[in-house]
Amino acid sequence: MNPDVERERRQRLFQKVIRKNKDETAKVLGTLRNREDYRPELDYFLDLAADTSATAAEKRSERPALRLLCLQAPLELIHAAGFQPFKVFSGSLSTSTLATQDFPALICPLLRAVLGEMILNESDSPGLPWVLPTTCDWVVKFPEMLTLTGHPSKPEFHWLELPHLKNRRDSRERWLGEVWQLKEFLEKTSKRPIKRAALLESAEIYGHAEEILQRLKIARETGFLSSVWFMLIVNTFFLDAVEKWTARAEILLSALTAGQITGGRVFLAGSPIVFPNFKLPFLFEEAGLTVVADDLCSSERLFPGKTLITDTSVFGLISTLAGRYHQGCLCPIFADNDRRINNILGRRTNVSFHGVIFHVLKGCHPYDLESFSLENGLKAQGLKFIRLETDYAPEDGQNLLTRLEAYRATLTDK
Amino acid sequence: MVLKVGLDLGSTAIKAVLADNEQILWRGKSPTRPGQEAVGQSLIDSALAEIGAPGNAIGGIAVTGYGKKLFSRSDGRVDEISANAAGLFRLSGGRARTIVNIGGQDLKVLFLDDRGRVADFRMNDKCAAGTGRFFELAARILDTPLEEFGVLSRLAEKDLELNSTCVVFAESEIVSLLAAGTPKEEIIKALHASVARRVAALLGRNSRGPIWLDGGPARNSGLLEAIEDELLTEVLVLEHPQYTVAYGALLALD
Repeated sequence: MNPDVERERRQRLFQKVIRKNKDETAKVLGTLRNREDYRPELDYFLDLAADTSATAAEKRSERPALRLLCLQAPLELIHAAGFQPFKVFSGSLSTSTLATQDFPALICPLLRAVLGEMILNESDSPGLPWVLPTTCDWVVKFPEMLTLTGHPSKPEFHWLELPHLKNRRDSRERWLGEVWQLKEFLEKTSKRPIKRAALLESAEIYGHAEEILQRLKIARETGFLSSVWFMLIVNTFFLDAVEKWTARAEILLSALTAGQITGGRVFLAGSPIVFPNFKLPFLFEEAGLTVVADDLCSSERLFPGKTLITDTSVFGLISTLAGRYHQGCLCPIFADNDRRINNILGRRTNVSFHGVIFHVLKGCHPYDLESFSLENGLKAQGLKFIRLETDYAPEDGQNLLTRLEAYRATLTDK
Repeated sequence: MVLKVGLDLGSTAIKAVLADNEQILWRGKSPTRPGQEAVGQSLIDSALAEIGAPGNAIGGIAVTGYGKKLFSRSDGRVDEISANAAGLFRLSGGRARTIVNIGGQDLKVLFLDDRGRVADFRMNDKCAAGTGRFFELAARILDTPLEEFGVLSRLAEKDLELNSTCVVFAESEIVSLLAAGTPKEEIIKALHASVARRVAALLGRNSRGPIWLDGGPARNSGLLEAIEDELLTEVLVLEHPQYTVAYGALLALD
């Protein structure tokens, strides 16, 4: 094909996708703003969601964005090196369409959307190297897939080899070595050493963010904050300086008033739900279901839990962070992952819920596989379980709603 | 006389049941088309006219199915899975524990507890394989009315293996078989067997007692036999399996 014609075709395609992406985002934001439980304190988070790019996050936080896939790299370490940790994820159906032709039909929708965004912004500078933990196959193959798209300015990648066994000593030691290497990489990239004081300060800042996340979780559990808003708020965590995000969340928390939880109380597990793909959260509400807790890496699992720092030396801090981000992670890529079901059952003692909705993003094999053993284990404990496999496309909405309504009826029958 | 109406606004047909104290007096259906409220109302009007009851005899209307929100005059909305369970449990005299419902666009498996409540269920996702739509497509390609499928499948001399229940792939497979001179009886029997395999996959190892086959395609005796063959379990069907869900909806008005 004539290169000029091809260039023009590509430009038109990109313009179409940009327009659709804007419409997609605006539609969800409009729906959120028109909700009865909207309040002005949420505007900050809505504004963040209006532009989820790394460039916007850099401007807001006044720090260079260091892109991460998945959540095993300690955020405190990245922050202490002077960077804005930026988790790369996307829920955009329109951008995902750009990356359909080069890959298998069942590629993870989330990574397809990320690839689509990369293609769309191919003229942007590649930016800093990305940090990639070796989690699922899709993440491991991400750089290769990006090459296949013909992306002209592929970024560099810093790999973190993530041991898939958590309960072995040599695995923990290997992971600690990886985190030390990450520290070296960050120091080399920022051209400055990570000092103990900076690391302590970052740990304190993220510790406070963790406390706020806990308060947001309680607000959701007790009906002060709906699950849809909770998901939006946590989805925006990487889009501004952590201190600003935390301060705004505190303002929101102090303004919230008691709400009422109606319908079936459920725990949401499984694959991440990423803005603007809020198909499921909206359907849950339409079916009369209230998500009171979850274990999504796009939501409650942003942090693996509060860090208890007893040894404040650099060695002690690194060891503590490495341990927490490895041991505390519930991602299904781990071979020894009993903690996942134990976490759900444990939450049940503090948060009342009658059932578990398990979300599988079509093509997300680790979650898909783990859903079966979880189903058996949770049903044996008397919890109602429903598995929903879907993607970003809206056409199965009615089918999903039918199932959710019936599922809700089974909870009411209890 | 206080009458109750159950309306099942499905993807291919709108079904109505009119009952007096849970005793069915009338049932009727109409193909789904735009203006579902008007279609539903005209079914109710027909029912009243046929049994000679005045409009004010209706004490309540319950709606279910994909189009339930399109009927504004309802006194109650029920999800179709709960309605199916309630209807079949009552009409089976409390015997049903496992239901396979083949609808226009979906395939559902329901497991009931001893009180007739839904204990668990499974449903196909986006794929229309094994649904009423699949049979409609096959009927069109084979140029054979669906009502004849049961009788014709019994005339098959050989067992064929149809590789796909995917609506798209099955179409080309059926066309190829016809082109190769395969008798349509054998193709129909193979279609039934492929749907039966899909039902078995959805059912897993969880069925209790006989299977109650429900929904429009349950009237197809060939399909019933294929499911019995696949599951090696007794398969039962009500006399009017297409109306179970509408009837179950009106029970919710209690």
